[in-house]
Amino acid sequence: MSKAKLFIDAVLKTSIWSGLCLLWNIGCPNLAFSLQLHGDPEGLYVHQIAHFFFVISMTILIYWLFRMKLLFQRGWRFIGLGATFLILWNIDAFVGHWIEGTNGVNMIVKGNHWSGTIEFPSLSENMAVLYYLLKLDHLLCVPAIASIFLGLRELYTDSVKTLRQRQES
Amino acid sequence: MIFPFFPFWFVDVLGSLLMVLFGLLCVIKAFSLRRMDPDNVIWAYLLWLSMALSFFALSRSIGHIVQHILIATGYKHTWEMLRPYSGSLNTLAFVVGGAVTLFFERIWGIYHRIMRDQESLRDAHDKLIFINRHLDELVRERTRELIASERKYRRLFEDAQEAIIIASPEGNIVDINTAGLRLFGHERKDIIGEIRLEDLFQSSEEFQRFLEKIKQDGYVTNWECVLQKPRNGEKLVVLISGSREEYGERYVLWLRDISQRKILERQLLNADKLSSIGRLAAGIAHEINNPLGIILGYTQLLLRSEPPDSERYEDLKTIEKHVRMCKNIVGDLLKFSRMTPTERQLTDIHSVIEEVLAMLHHQFERSNIVVEKDFDRSIPEFSLDVSKMKQVFINILINARDAIGDKKGGQIFIRTKRQQSQDSVLIQIEDNGCGIPPEHLGKIFEPFFTTKPPGKGTGLGLAVSYGIVAEHGGDIMVESTESKGAIFTIVLPLRH
Repeated sequence: MSKAKLFIDAVLKTSIWSGLCLLWNIGCPNLAFSLQLHGDPEGLYVHQIAHFFFVISMTILIYWLFRMKLLFQRGWRFIGLGATFLILWNIDAFVGHWIEGTNGVNMIVKGNHWSGTIEFPSLSENMAVLYYLLKLDHLLCVPAIASIFLGLRELYTDSVKTLRQRQES
Repeated sequence: MIFPFFPFWFVDVLGSLLMVLFGLLCVIKAFSLRRMDPDNVIWAYLLWLSMALSFFALSRSIGHIVQHILIATGYKHTWEMLRPYSGSLNTLAFVVGGAVTLFFERIWGIYHRIMRDQESLRDAHDKLIFINRHLDELVRERTRELIASERKYRRLFEDAQEAIIIASPEGNIVDINTAGLRLFGHERKDIIGEIRLEDLFQSSEEFQRFLEKIKQDGYVTNWECVLQKPRNGEKLVVLISGSREEYGERYVLWLRDISQRKILERQLLNADKLSSIGRLAAGIAHEINNPLGIILGYTQLLLRSEPPDSERYEDLKTIEKHVRMCKNIVGDLLKFSRMTPTERQLTDIHSVIEEVLAMLHHQFERSNIVVEKDFDRSIPEFSLDVSKMKQVFINILINARDAIGDKKGGQIFIRTKRQQSQDSVLIQIEDNGCGIPPEHLGKIFEPFFTTKPPGKGTGLGLAVSYGIVAEHGGDIMVESTESKGAIFTIVLPLRH
């Protein structure tokens, strides 16, 4: 049988079966699941999986930088350092979200920015300390992005030098 | 537990601002990189990564700052409304960043492949530019190299001692070197294009066999065959080595003339035969010597009883003369075959020469020959058979006298010299006689070879001398220029 005939045959069979299923659903509306509902914790799960995915991708990036011996170059070394900070930040954020998800963190802020206090009544003492420190996650993500910037700047300087040398030669 | 709010607020607000700042700086730097080299995929990747990070920083930081502002101003519910969007955008940003990063290895591979190709292209481009700029110079240099190479190989070709022939597949001679021209006795113009390879072979069957062999194997080594000179058909025995060129399909042949070697081989064979004959002759001479002695004895006995003026006396005298001649020949033969024992003693070679000269003094005087001596008195006494060595000197000096003949101003020079390096003595006897023709030079030491008239010489003198010198472990050599004289050189070792 030729390929064209096989294709037409497949299209016809699919159309027939789809039509039959549609008729069946019209007849029995209580069995239709065309739209799935996304409840409350799903967004958190997606966010946590995204953190995990980001950790994996940054680990892979560091592995390749190491494997390709790029870490010997100053620019790529900064980018590797940035990736390491991002991994740490992702772990920080992942644990923070996990505490929020499991303990339902309430935050009571009293007073103004300069002399005010903050309290987490739903958390135990140790957990509250941990959560407070985890909330200072900019201490990880700012060095991460700063390192990446420094790396880019080094790469740019190197490229300018190389270009100039090539032009001179 | 209660914590201070300020660090929490300060890190959050300042961090957010710094995130936005560095995110934008990253994008600007990556964009600069990309603009500098738009074809570089690595810079494209970094730009994507920077944009994703910047988007992440913006969404997150703006979210955080807005959160603080809204909460501080009492619009917490508004923040609660915006919060899911901020979070979602945040999630989306670092998913994009992660996804882009996963392609890093592939992008790096592509980048390197492009860079390699680019490098090759640049090299090729540079080479082309270089060639374009220096074409004349390069051509000149290459031409110079080619000329030098051609000159070098031409010299090798022309100066080779072996004949070299280059022939086309059809068998036409394309080129031939000087040795080849010398071998065939032709001018270049008479051979190239005029004579075919086949014409050089005496037998066309042999040529066909040769051709098949070189075609089949691609080469021949030391193929012995008989060639002929095209001009006069003179035979040449040669060894041919050659090969077939893969490209150009030409034959390059090396010819080594072995005609002389073949002659020498024949001479060696003859010498071997002569040696056998010599041994046989010596045996016969030994057997004849005794009867001859008896005949001579009885002849002399009969002579005593005959009156000197009788006819029988004259007959007996003739018999005695011829028996003596036979005895001399037999004696020489025995000496040549070294059947007489050697008696060595320590002797001064000069005293031996002086004794011989004294013996021949009258003969030289009669022929007006002046003998000049140049003796090296540092030669010590050494062991030799005096009577045999006297025989050697007598033979050579008598030959010198005969060579000078009636020539006026005949001179014989006798020189001796000690050769320190070889621990030997060199004795030279030079005359200014008629010399030896070149065709006789190789034969003078052969037994029974003589140029003297019959009855004058037996042709054994030099052969016997050669044997005696060889018996002393020495050597005897001759050099001569026809009509200008000859030099006999005897080399004797001091220790034997």
